[in-house]
Amino acid sequence: MVKPTKGLLSIGTIAALGVLAACGTSSTPTSSSGGATGIAGCHGTITVATDLPLTGGDATDGPFPQLAAELAVNQAIAHKLLGGCTLKYVSKDDSTVLKNGHDPAQGAANITALASDATVMGVVGPFNSSVALAEIPVASTNHLAIISPANTNPCLTAVVPVCSDPTININTASLYPGAHTYFRVIASDVQQSEIDAYIAAKVVNATKVYLIDDQEAYGRGLALLFKKYYTTTEGGTIVGQASLPGATSTFATQISLAKSEGAQAIFFGGTTGNGCGLVRRDMGSAGFNVPVLGGDGCEDTKFISDANSGANTSEAEGSYATSAPDVTKLASSATFFSQYAAAYSTKAAPYNDGTKEPYTAYGYDAMNILLQAIHATLVANGGQPLSSPQAFRDAVVAQLRNTSYDGALGHTTFDANGDTTNTGFTLYKVTSGNWVGVNTYAVDTSGKVTVKS
Amino acid sequence: MSEYKGPPAADPGALGVGTSRGGSAMLVAQSGLAPRHGRAGGILGGLGPLVRLLQGWISTYFSLLLLGMMALAIGLTGVQHGVTLMGEQIKNALVLGAIYALVAIGYTMVYGIIELINFAHGDVFTASGFYAFGFASLFHLDSLATGSFGGLILALVIVFPLSMIAAGVTGALIEFVAYRRLRDAPRLAPLITAIGVSFLIEGIMLVVEGPDNVTTHMASWINGEAFSIAGVSVGYTDLFVIGMALVLMFALGAFVRRTRLGKAMRSTAQDRTAALLCGININRTISATFFIGSALAAAAAIIYSINYGVLKWNIGFHLGIIAFTAAVLGGIGNIVGAGVGGFLIGIIYVFGGSLFGGEWSEALIFAVLVLILTFRPVGLFGVEVTTRA
Repeated sequence: MVKPTKGLLSIGTIAALGVLAACGTSSTPTSSSGGATGIAGCHGTITVATDLPLTGGDATDGPFPQLAAELAVNQAIAHKLLGGCTLKYVSKDDSTVLKNGHDPAQGAANITALASDATVMGVVGPFNSSVALAEIPVASTNHLAIISPANTNPCLTAVVPVCSDPTININTASLYPGAHTYFRVIASDVQQSEIDAYIAAKVVNATKVYLIDDQEAYGRGLALLFKKYYTTTEGGTIVGQASLPGATSTFATQISLAKSEGAQAIFFGGTTGNGCGLVRRDMGSAGFNVPVLGGDGCEDTKFISDANSGANTSEAEGSYATSAPDVTKLASSATFFSQYAAAYSTKAAPYNDGTKEPYTAYGYDAMNILLQAIHATLVANGGQPLSSPQAFRDAVVAQLRNTSYDGALGHTTFDANGDTTNTGFTLYKVTSGNWVGVNTYAVDTSGKVTVKS
Repeated sequence: MSEYKGPPAADPGALGVGTSRGGSAMLVAQSGLAPRHGRAGGILGGLGPLVRLLQGWISTYFSLLLLGMMALAIGLTGVQHGVTLMGEQIKNALVLGAIYALVAIGYTMVYGIIELINFAHGDVFTASGFYAFGFASLFHLDSLATGSFGGLILALVIVFPLSMIAAGVTGALIEFVAYRRLRDAPRLAPLITAIGVSFLIEGIMLVVEGPDNVTTHMASWINGEAFSIAGVSVGYTDLFVIGMALVLMFALGAFVRRTRLGKAMRSTAQDRTAALLCGININRTISATFFIGSALAAAAAIIYSINYGVLKWNIGFHLGIIAFTAAVLGGIGNIVGAGVGGFLIGIIYVFGGSLFGGEWSEALIFAVLVLILTFRPVGLFGVEVTTRA
């Protein structure tokens, strides 16, 4: 595990020269910029990595946060954030041909490989919660920090009442055989469902809700959490609940039941691919006109086309869904997206435009937070890497806990579980055939929902 | 109990399961299909006669038991939630059942004539839905159908025959390419081929139509409420779906019973060699069976499209398996049985979901499949076991 720092010196210097030469055309590195204060004499190589699904069915998702994270690394190299130390970047792909996309086994193998490299001080990833389940224990055992730009499963960080549900069945404690080294810059489904429950009760003004989920970990988890917060915090009543497979082609039976029970809203936990929009379509056929509320799995254009596919071609109107705030609209992200566009202008569409995917800015902030933590660790250690890689990694994790970072997403800090405290969710409503943002809500640790903007 | 269409085995219109196929290797061996009389050994040894009696009793009265349970489920829904919900769920069940029935007929016809479970049938359903969507876009039928009542009739008169012919050709082509050469091969070979063809069609549709729901715009062709009874609103679409399915099924029944080709199909189903000796063109007859079965799937797909408005590359597989259960329930090989079975499965799906929760709908359907294979493998309308052995 322990590599002598001296031995690395020459290799590091050569690598640094190579990297600097590569960057030289696009930016002008200055040998003594602000970021290098106190650590200009830093010796050694520090590696950061990403583990994201880049190929197969996930080729439309993973490459965006990967490119954003790489941009963050290149900017850090250009600004000599780590002073004299060489910053290296490794990109791992957790997709396999077998799965035609993200594969938890490949993710675990990637983290194992990264952990065995003593210079690796942190990883940005993974994208999918199922991959996170395989990677977190490996990272925990090896003291390696991982920061996810996209995992929303609440059971990855903390035990919530849904974790023991048979469809989810995650033993959170068993994920961390070692240190708690997992962080995420995206809010979890707990916060989303708290906000959804608030919206059902206070915005839709429904006292009776009928619940439908798609039997998958995300959808069922969201529905169960919604049920918990809607009945306890908001005092509402769930008049019925159905759990239907993604292949369901009609929800007429459930709509009739919901109508008969006098539901004032229908909450759908799941994705549009599993029927969110079709629920709305079948409500039109049944002449049942109450709002549909969904999570981020419903907030897409497919919802609108599915809902409008029935006899009433404007059935989608008035449907609600919450989703992560539109980061492309944040003032704080404007600089990032223009830098992304400038850096990747030669990439093929859609990868040349970071706004095409919601997680791009999350990848950028996650990597910057990691780099800041490494920088802080070096500064705290007198401008030099810690001699023991394990101690170095532990120190980086400790610095991550104290993160206070202003980036593209706004202000990010982490709570004791590694969850971000930057938890806004925007309520969207279908208006004239488009999802239009209504309000952004935030929830504090006591469960109190407030309007953020 | 209105679904009960008469006593078992009194069914002149059915293709019927052959009575003289004693030696042929069926997918499910006939001995295995029959109730296992006198097999109860071990601890149950002393109970043998009682178990036999009970099994025989369940087997004989299976139809009545099943229908009784359905009536109970419908009644319970009425008692628990009121007449309005009961009426709505009956409407939902009939609409769903009509589509299952039309697809089930395709399974049962093919099984009746060449004893093959044509797994590709569900995907022919989806493909023909896309054919109809293609024809509708090609001839701008959407504006025609939504313009006036005459326009709607004209659009239906254009889209139904064209899609049914296209689907029929697809079905006959599948038989010609994939199944004909394997007609005398062991049963497993064409079965595996059928699964292969199913995946092939799905793959093509995935590439051509993409992974998401495709809006066909046909749901806007028919809309509005026809009438309302006891708070249950029945739309013109509901009437169209159920009515169209019934018309098509009766037309098929008349075709099989009255025409020369129908007679040829029945005789080929009964005994292929004897039919050949009587001068019947077996290949043409089997092709015609695939053509008609697939054409009905196309009709079902158009009806589905008009009712639900979306198609997806893989809906046929799922729907096909449920429709296949309907065919088994009615007695595989029996056309009337498949039609009735489709409606019964619709009732089980909807009322099962209504009473026990949506997650139980499919479990109940396949539980019925297991029960029927155990206690009454010939189905509700099949030929008596004794005459088949």
